[in-house]
Amino acid sequence: MKKVININFQGQVIAIEETAFEILSQYIDNLKAYFSREECGDEIVNDIENRIAELFGNRLKLGFNCITDEDVESILASIGKPEDFDTDYDESSDSTSGEKQSSFQSKKESESSKEDQTRLYRNSNDKIIAGVCSGLGYHFKIDPVWFRLAFILLFSVLFWVYIILWIVLKPKPLESNASKRLYRNPTDRIIGGVCGGIATYFKIDSWIPRLIFAAPLLLNIIGMSSFSFFPWNKFFDNVHFNFEFNFSVFLVYIVLWIIIPKATTVKQKLEMMGEEEYIKSIRTAVSDNVANAKSKSDIEVSQYQSSTLLSEDLNFDDKKTALPPPPPKDSATLKKTVSEPSERSGCLNAFIVLFKIIFFGFVGIFALLVIAALCALLFAGAAMMPLKALFIDAGMETNLLIFSAILIFVIPLIALVLWIIPNLLKNAKSRTIVGIVAALFWFLGVSLAGMLATRVANKFKVDSVNEKNIDIAPFAGNTLHVEMARYGNDYNMFDTAFGITSDINGLPFYNLNEDSLLFANINLQVTQSEDSLFQVRMISSISSTDLRKAKSDLKDFSFPVLQKDSILYLPEFFVTPVEQGFRNQNMVVEIAVPAGKTAVLSDDLDNYRENVIPKIVRRRYKRYSEIYDRPPVDTTNVPNSERKVSQGELETDNI
Amino acid sequence: MNIENTQSQMRKGVLEYCILSIIKRGEAYPGDIIDEMKNAGLQLLEGTLYPLLNRLKNSEILTYRWVESNSGPPRKYFSLTEKGLEFYKLLETTWNELAAGVNAVTNKPEQNKQQS
Repeated sequence: MKKVININFQGQVIAIEETAFEILSQYIDNLKAYFSREECGDEIVNDIENRIAELFGNRLKLGFNCITDEDVESILASIGKPEDFDTDYDESSDSTSGEKQSSFQSKKESESSKEDQTRLYRNSNDKIIAGVCSGLGYHFKIDPVWFRLAFILLFSVLFWVYIILWIVLKPKPLESNASKRLYRNPTDRIIGGVCGGIATYFKIDSWIPRLIFAAPLLLNIIGMSSFSFFPWNKFFDNVHFNFEFNFSVFLVYIVLWIIIPKATTVKQKLEMMGEEEYIKSIRTAVSDNVANAKSKSDIEVSQYQSSTLLSEDLNFDDKKTALPPPPPKDSATLKKTVSEPSERSGCLNAFIVLFKIIFFGFVGIFALLVIAALCALLFAGAAMMPLKALFIDAGMETNLLIFSAILIFVIPLIALVLWIIPNLLKNAKSRTIVGIVAALFWFLGVSLAGMLATRVANKFKVDSVNEKNIDIAPFAGNTLHVEMARYGNDYNMFDTAFGITSDINGLPFYNLNEDSLLFANINLQVTQSEDSLFQVRMISSISSTDLRKAKSDLKDFSFPVLQKDSILYLPEFFVTPVEQGFRNQNMVVEIAVPAGKTAVLSDDLDNYRENVIPKIVRRRYKRYSEIYDRPPVDTTNVPNSERKVSQGELETDNI
Repeated sequence: MNIENTQSQMRKGVLEYCILSIIKRGEAYPGDIIDEMKNAGLQLLEGTLYPLLNRLKNSEILTYRWVESNSGPPRKYFSLTEKGLEFYKLLETTWNELAAGVNAVTNKPEQNKQQS
């Protein structure tokens, strides 16, 4: 059984089998491409179309109902395929024969492709990245959209699978062979036709998916209004429904927009709607068309319509407009209704315009956010440059850093430019080799970065802890005042790029001097003393590549504690040589208070940044506290004006 | 050496002459030309004919006028211009010389080979 459609071809209404129409329009496209080189190529194509129309007319006059595949094939054979034309006088004979041979070969290849369906190829006809999903779909005769979805949802797992398939499989132009496919519906669309396509696929009304996609946005608008008409307002606010959910729905739409192809040709529409539905739509369209064709005005219209309309599927559009049947008063109005989508009521139209504005607003904001994030990354990278020396040695590691940074950031940029320029020039050739080389270099960059990361991580491999006790000389009175001794020398704030200096407080807990690193990450603890003397214990820790280096680095820590009678001065920073770099240096200062006596801590000591004991010291502490099971300190008589510090957090803090 | 190639070269050379001589007899539209050529046993594809006519028209050897047809779309009827007539005459003399020469060369008995 075959479907017959009516086409307007060179001013004639011709009933033609749909498959025959496909062949014909394909052929005319080929002709156009072939004669585009020629002067007045359009005219030649037009003449040939004219001739075909005449031959069709003769055929129909003989009493046949419609033009069949065989008719078209025989007529096209008599006109000849573009590769059989002897038009190229100017070109040398060798090149024409070469062309013939190559076209002959390509014919052979396309025949052989039908034979070995068992092999897996990348589909170069229908691709988004490399045609892997499309090729898989062809192989298993399934809609490629499901493969695309799977690859996106399981991105982390299947990423490498995709890359490997990309490299291993050969590209080949394949015709889609799934019986039913999900397409974006160009005749039933508001933004991208995604909802329309989904509705067609599942045979539901298109407002259902539309409502699902628009629901978060609508609820948002409701939520924005200050009236709490709706009891669920508060509920949604509480679960932070608004932004995240909105955004994810938006993202889903965009992803679907990208991975679902648009149905443009008749074949795709057939696949989109399924055969029965399509026949129904065609039937109504054909009957409308025939009725129209009989009216005289349609003949006028036909003269206005250029022959290019042939390639468009007029009837399909007609079907949508057929609901309010347009009275064909004059040609202009009829043409308008053909080319434009169905009219909507004013209110709905306004809503759609609003929706579009919101949608494109979202897209714009999203793009701006991406750009802003990139800029921020750039600035942050520049800001971290002075810190580089603290983590990364000069020489080999610096080189690694530079190479990997260049490869990781510059390669995609180059690839993007290489990809954009030909696309802009409409000269899109598949440059798989460029892609593969770029990908290889990028992965090289990633692996260099990995090497660098392991080297840096190695520097934190071994931890070491050092303890130092200072006895406090006896003094009169029961109270020890602990003050901070300010660091006297100058120190630099981090000089970030572009003349911006950032506040010390905003940055990590260390500062730079010419030859020293100043750390403020000191943790102050107060415990109970075992005897009747105040004691100060300093526990410093560092990470390094090996234990020996860690031990020697620990000896270079400088934290001079000064006692003047009942006042104890603790330095503002502990200082290490700048050559050490940042190796997770930490210090815990423990003041042991004897029973019946009090330690008063100055507010200045709040500047010490570390609130919790570093993990490595804590491990040591735990053992310590188990050995000496000390009772909590007595903190009875403390002046009101000053902060009193009780002890005992220590044991509870231990884990 | 490719035989197909040589054949098509030969055919190309005389194609213009044949077409022009058909048109010289009276106005003709491409369908007539195709039919006549086919009847004479000369294979000609529409795809070859139309570009050729187009070129001849562009170099002002041919001119055409639209004629309404009672079956199908209007047709282009081609006729020779003044310039085209001269062109045709030149082609005619060339062809006659060529045909005579070729016949003379190819039809000679094989004896001359032995003499030389």
